[in-house]
Amino acid sequence: MATIEMIGVRKTFGTTVALADLHLHVESGEMVCLLGPSGCGKTTALRLLAGFEQPDAGQILVDGEDVTHVSPRHRGFGMVFQDYSLFPNLTGRQNIAFGLKVRRKGAAEIAETVDRLLAVTRLEKHADKYPHQMSGGQRQRVALARAIATEPRLLLLDEPLSALDAQVREHLRDEIRRLQQEVGVTTVFVTHDQHEAMAVADRVAVMRDGLLEQIDPPRVLYSRPASQFVAGFVGTVNRLSAERTVDGGWFVLGAKVEAVGDTGSEPAAAPDATPVAGEKATADAAPKHAVVRPEQLHVNRAESGAGPVARLVALSFLGAFTRAVIEHPTEGLVTADVLGEAADGLAVGDAVAVSVRPGAGAVVLQ
Amino acid sequence: MSAVTPRVVTPRVDTPGADAPRVRVPSAAPARPSRGPARHRGLRVVRWTFLTVLGLYFLVPQLAMARFAFQNVPVVLLNASTLFSKWSASSLVDALSQAALWDAAKTSAMLAVLSVVLDLALLLPLAILAEIRAPRLRPVLSALTLLPWVIPPIALVVGVAATFRDVAPGFLTSTLSLVPFYAIWAMPFTYRALDSGLRAINARTLVEAARSLGASELTVLFRVIVPNLSASIVAASGLTAALVLGEFAFASLLLKNTLPTYLVNYQRDSPQAGMALALAVMVLTALALGAVVHMLRRRGLGMSTTGF
Repeated sequence: MATIEMIGVRKTFGTTVALADLHLHVESGEMVCLLGPSGCGKTTALRLLAGFEQPDAGQILVDGEDVTHVSPRHRGFGMVFQDYSLFPNLTGRQNIAFGLKVRRKGAAEIAETVDRLLAVTRLEKHADKYPHQMSGGQRQRVALARAIATEPRLLLLDEPLSALDAQVREHLRDEIRRLQQEVGVTTVFVTHDQHEAMAVADRVAVMRDGLLEQIDPPRVLYSRPASQFVAGFVGTVNRLSAERTVDGGWFVLGAKVEAVGDTGSEPAAAPDATPVAGEKATADAAPKHAVVRPEQLHVNRAESGAGPVARLVALSFLGAFTRAVIEHPTEGLVTADVLGEAADGLAVGDAVAVSVRPGAGAVVLQ
Repeated sequence: MSAVTPRVVTPRVDTPGADAPRVRVPSAAPARPSRGPARHRGLRVVRWTFLTVLGLYFLVPQLAMARFAFQNVPVVLLNASTLFSKWSASSLVDALSQAALWDAAKTSAMLAVLSVVLDLALLLPLAILAEIRAPRLRPVLSALTLLPWVIPPIALVVGVAATFRDVAPGFLTSTLSLVPFYAIWAMPFTYRALDSGLRAINARTLVEAARSLGASELTVLFRVIVPNLSASIVAASGLTAALVLGEFAFASLLLKNTLPTYLVNYQRDSPQAGMALALAVMVLTALALGAVVHMLRRRGLGMSTTGF
């Protein structure tokens, strides 16, 4: 267990800047997910941590000790690769034992550790198979056991689940988390799958163009994304226009809402008008946007009255809820989730009213 | 601890957006179903015609050679009516009883082994280093290792002879002087086999995995790379050996007595026995190559991982 610190790390490949200036702090025993689209620098960050690449600038500290130029061999980190990277000429058991053999541990100690890890990863039956005789999930469990066999100070996981199919992925994801918590090893997990990151991490670091965009626990990341990019990356969002009321509140979709985020300065009181709380301000409010999650919206049928109305253009049943896409006269396409049977009365083509559900939590202003 | 894990079936709650249920669209029916089978039949006819012609092109000369070598019938009478008369292995027995044959064969075998060793000693570290440390060098190396095929043997021999006559006069008189030539000559095969083997086993990530587990460079080389590269190494060695056993130009130019030069000389004196011997060598080579491929397959190492 160790705390990890990346300070001002920069890495370029030719003219491409993979990491511009990365600052990352990982607490001892914590699991941090590096999340981002491909090319955001998350894999580079992991490879720098592992020691496979050298940064152009900056420092990597483990428990305060500078390991920036220490070879991967002497860092004492465990790594799990996307393509498993098991040694094809060794059985599962021999693969797990590899790091211990290299460290010249005694045969009894090796056997004991390997047996324990085989049990923990539920691989007893497959211990003597060669990698090519195992399924993807089994191979990745061997890779995981191999990485933690040497009791690493830091466990690095490079998209460990992306080569697996959906069911195995979910199962193994939970298993990795369970194991990580049992062993208590500090872990950095790279993924491009936001569900994966949100499900397992203590904190998720969203990266973009070689920079850290936001690092927070999943719940905070979801409810208070620091930017439009983060909001869009960790789930579906609507970007709706927000207008300021004279008392400093906010209107979204024609109703007053609870808002957090960049609310800006207090509006200047208009000298020749008496401000009325709850009324829309007029000229002095700069145009703003509110980030609203589909589940924060409420949809119900509306009588087609005069003037433009919102219309339901698509409905897809997703089990616990139904996702509705609404063509709104001023906001464009709006996505809303309708829970349970509330969707029964809705049909594509209906005129609907859409609003922010009271008590659905704050919307985020930008 | 129970080894059997109850299978937990998690109801899949699709989180919005990312993986909305995908609808499988039935693939469109073939555009012209009526013409399909006819086209297939046509293709099959073309394929079989092609294979038959190719087979005959290969087999007819072999049969002619076999008849010439193993039938005690004057050449002018070798026609359809004498196809089954007077077959005998006496010419082969004659050929095999020549002591000079075994000397030449021994020389060739020794040259093959030494050339394989030298070739691997030069190219294995080079290919590994290029793959792991300097992947940008790979195209350069692959072009460089093709050079031996661009330079004709006579140019190589003349150039090398001119150089060594002054530097080390004794060098070219030794039979072993062929080894460096053969090592160079086999480079294109060996390098390609090793290079594609390294790529097939994903050597770079294997090395990274081993290093992150604390393995030293030597451990990485001998416990990780070489064992997993064995198919390529065997293939490279087999090809190098086959090349050396069949090489004529260098040996002839340097006046060495190897199996191929012996075969040519011997055939000049006793054409029938020479032909019998050539056929026997060919069959043996084919069997040896087949055995290597079979061995690799049984170890789960297809020839596809060797680049051939």
